Amino acid sequence: MRPGNSRFVAGLALLAACGTGAPGRPGALAVTDDAGRRVTLAAPAARVVSLAPSLTELLFALGAGPQVVGRTTWCRYPPAAAAVADVGDGLNPNLEAVAARRPDLVLLYHSPLNETAAAQLARLGIAAVLLRQDRHADVARHARLLGVLTGHAAAGDSIGRVLDSVVARPTPPAGVRVAFVVWDAPPTVIGAGSYLDELVTLAGGANVFHDLRPASATVSLETIADRDPGVIAILADSGAVVPPVWARRPEWRAVRAVRAGRFLVLPADLFGRPSPRAPEAVAELRRLLAREATP
Amino acid sequence: MKWVVLGLAAAGALGAAVVLGPAAIPFAELGTSPIVRDLRLPRALLAFLVGGALATAGTGLQGLLRNPLADPFLLGLSGGAGLGAVLAIALGWGGPWGLPVAAFAGAVGAMVLVYRLGLVGGGALDPRTMLLAGVAVGAFAAAVTTAIVSLAEASQLRNAFLWLWGGLSGASWQTLAVLAAYVPVPLAVLAAAARPLDLLALGEEPARYLGADVERVKRRVYLAASLLTAAAVAVSGVIGFVGLLVPHLARLVWGHRHRALLPAAFLGGGTLLTLADTLARTVVAPRELPVGIVTALVGVPVFALLLRRWGAP
Repeated sequence: MRPGNSRFVAGLALLAACGTGAPGRPGALAVTDDAGRRVTLAAPAARVVSLAPSLTELLFALGAGPQVVGRTTWCRYPPAAAAVADVGDGLNPNLEAVAARRPDLVLLYHSPLNETAAAQLARLGIAAVLLRQDRHADVARHARLLGVLTGHAAAGDSIGRVLDSVVARPTPPAGVRVAFVVWDAPPTVIGAGSYLDELVTLAGGANVFHDLRPASATVSLETIADRDPGVIAILADSGAVVPPVWARRPEWRAVRAVRAGRFLVLPADLFGRPSPRAPEAVAELRRLLAREATP
Repeated sequence: MKWVVLGLAAAGALGAAVVLGPAAIPFAELGTSPIVRDLRLPRALLAFLVGGALATAGTGLQGLLRNPLADPFLLGLSGGAGLGAVLAIALGWGGPWGLPVAAFAGAVGAMVLVYRLGLVGGGALDPRTMLLAGVAVGAFAAAVTTAIVSLAEASQLRNAFLWLWGGLSGASWQTLAVLAAYVPVPLAVLAAAARPLDLLALGEEPARYLGADVERVKRRVYLAASLLTAAAVAVSGVIGFVGLLVPHLARLVWGHRHRALLPAAFLGGGTLLTLADTLARTVVAPRELPVGIVTALVGVPVFALLLRRWGAP
């Protein structure tokens, strides 16, 4: 993997540092979650169970890490999250395991299944918020919302401002044309609905499948060859091989960037989900794209 | 006459598959475009070969099991192939050919199991035993597959299911060459069994009296049809309805003689799958549908019509 990971950690520490102090003010805290539900807490939550990796990361960035008492199996960032009790994979929450952590706030990804779970938690007297963190703008909104609920409102505002400024900064003209390939058989690419499409745009690149509305879609290999991206971006864990094995398949050789070995491997840890580290992700991607533009 | 029509349909389907596609390629450049040469042409030919193989395998199995519901995937092969594919992805079995090889191995494994179970009780390959064994092996493989999927990280394995739904995106001249070298042997075995399969339609006892070596024919037809299907699933995933539907359509036009039925099913299956794949590539372009969905969407209404026709007094 490329160097630079230490920079991300340093950036995170900086963000987290903004969140120290500012304990919750007395009185009721009220927010509206992404399902339109009004959630009120008498005091900042002291015991939080997070059932989405992106929200766990955000809690730690806010400085609310010590208040997290439950997480999903997939919450791997920051490394400190590993010390928190695992309450399952978070997809179909095991409410007994969640309740056993005696939380006063549960964070759920906003999905129909989780709406049911939130209603069941309400019957147990446990407050739950449903949050859908799919886009860059969601992170800033959630930073402020969770800042209020966990008593780190100042940190939430600070993170929100930093994230807003990334979007506010004028986007440099679209240079390198990128196709984000997430799977090879059938060929599946990232469309405009994905956070990764936003990142590519913010970093000054152009996603050649920006015209596809869903987050990801199966396309014909012929279309990839025809749109002729300058570089193929792939998300990968640290052990990934470059170029990927499928680049050796004869049908993929019809794509010029594959033949030329133009692959951009992005660490899944930083690029895999919308996170408060978006500024680092954008900067890193901008650097990588600039390198592709001037070979 | 009907052979001429079928031949023209086959040629038309192949022509359309080469001319039509999500990338706009001017007619004059069809001969020189690398997209046509390296992607469309091998894909059209692979679709034809896979469709033909599935329909021929289905014809053979329907004759063997004397069951109109028989389809190449009925006897557990899709479950075995799916298990192979999911294992390949979960364990990261390497190489660009890992997935097809594992799917092929899984399908052959299921075939061997069903075959062994079919021999239980005196080596008869009784159709009822085979069907039960096929369903049981398929269900078992599906259960193991689901267990792996639910225990492993989900996002990658979701893609394994997408692959399994069928698609010809893996087509290349190499894939085509491998399949074209492999398919003639089981096809020839099925063709050689044409007359015994006709006799088998009368029942096993009469077939035996009329001189057919029933046990040998059953073994050969089952293994040849299954090996054809395993190869098809390795290059294109599980594509339903071609192997079920085309034999019935062919029987309506060509009657019950396997000597005509088998080649008609091959050409018909090839034509149907080539057309279905062209639709899969173009109707929602630049996105692509799994071709198995197109064959089901086209196949089910046609099948419903057939059922009405049979149901009429």
